[in-house]
Amino acid sequence: MDKPLVSVVILCWNRKEDVREGLLRLQQQTYPNIEVIVSDNCSTDGTIEMIENEFPYVQLIKMSENIGIEAYNFGFKKAGGEYIVILDDDSFPGEDAIANMVDKFRQDEKLGVAAFDVRNYFDYDDIRNEDRNPGDSGAAAARDYLMSFNGAGAGIRRDVLERAGYYPEEFFLYWNEQDTAFRILDAGYKIEFFPDIISYHKYSPKNRESWRAPFYFTRNAFWLVWKNYPAGMAVRITLRLIRDCIYYSMEQKTFIYIKAMMAAFRDAGKLKGKRKPVSRYIAENLRTPFNFSFMFYK
Amino acid sequence: MQEVLIIRSVSFQQLDKNIKAIREKYRNCRISLLTHEHGVKLAEKYKNIYRVYVYPYQGSFSYGKPVKELENRDFDTVIIPVTNISGAGFSNVCLFALTIKAKKYVICNMVSDLREISRAGVFAVVAKNAVISVLASLFTVLIGVVVLPILPLLLRSLEKRM
Repeated sequence: MDKPLVSVVILCWNRKEDVREGLLRLQQQTYPNIEVIVSDNCSTDGTIEMIENEFPYVQLIKMSENIGIEAYNFGFKKAGGEYIVILDDDSFPGEDAIANMVDKFRQDEKLGVAAFDVRNYFDYDDIRNEDRNPGDSGAAAARDYLMSFNGAGAGIRRDVLERAGYYPEEFFLYWNEQDTAFRILDAGYKIEFFPDIISYHKYSPKNRESWRAPFYFTRNAFWLVWKNYPAGMAVRITLRLIRDCIYYSMEQKTFIYIKAMMAAFRDAGKLKGKRKPVSRYIAENLRTPFNFSFMFYK
Repeated sequence: MQEVLIIRSVSFQQLDKNIKAIREKYRNCRISLLTHEHGVKLAEKYKNIYRVYVYPYQGSFSYGKPVKELENRDFDTVIIPVTNISGAGFSNVCLFALTIKAKKYVICNMVSDLREISRAGVFAVVAKNAVISVLASLFTVLIGVVVLPILPLLLRSLEKRM
């Protein structure tokens, strides 16, 4: 088929206006064969009613409570497209992003994930599309290491995602893309960044003001390691993470990292049966920035 | 013309915001950017960025890993974007910045406030953090005595049964 179906999966929670804008922007896509699936995490601000009234073609999945990133998995299961585009409720792809993404997948059958260049929506006039040389795939690859992707804009082959497994529901928030990246790479597929596939994200660092960001980011870092790294590396990195939790607690005068570390150990049972170490090559080369302090607002 | 170098120590999403404020403040300056290899094509999208330098290592910016290409360059200002308000957690990047010759070193925080830091100030923070680091390592050893024997068992108990 010339234009295979692409499923756009969006997770939303109480962002009515942003979701409306995202769905309107999706109507401007140059690619013709798209289905839109929205997984709503029990919004109470009228998001659901707005979608039902204004976008009746959208396949809406309603959660009975906020279950975090697990809601994406319901959307993935419903997706019928050959490719899935993952978006946040405050992000949307550039007009030709999906068409470009399909081209990339068709050019390279080992491409598992086409990571979009996720840019700040509020300044997008400042960002111009670069001119590419003919024959250049446009991929922004690094020679010496592997990269994950950003869930505010990424395309994935549906069959690869099904084989590798969906997002880790036990994570709730943060590191879900990285966990999925480990499994996709371990399945023998590539993840590449494409600067000519752009997604715009309403980046707001103040969203991180609450305790949730450093807590989930830190707890899930432990879980990411325990799920995916070979035993020796997992032990070594765990000790480093413990040290970092203590260090940043003292440096930033907060107990949130210690709490998160304790939660990681206390609730480790949630990972039962989910540990499947990747190859040493992937563990050593997938770039995983464990810096907890990045998530702390103060 | 004054030369400014931004060390790309934050996401491009944040940098998109910061760079507006930086351009405003350094209007008639030539602005360059230092980024990891994977960020080069993304960095090249910015208008009016004079040059993109590559940090040729995988890990975080480190004082022990200076960029040879910058060894003989002199900048008027080196800017270090940080992902929070205070700059906590970025002392390694500040220290790395000192490997680059410049008249001024400036932190740009998540809300694009620009604040000059002195060499002495950076070294003072690094010294304080060194003390914290020693304490953290000592505590880790103590915790490690408990954790090390149980961690392999924990990992085994989590394994997927094929």
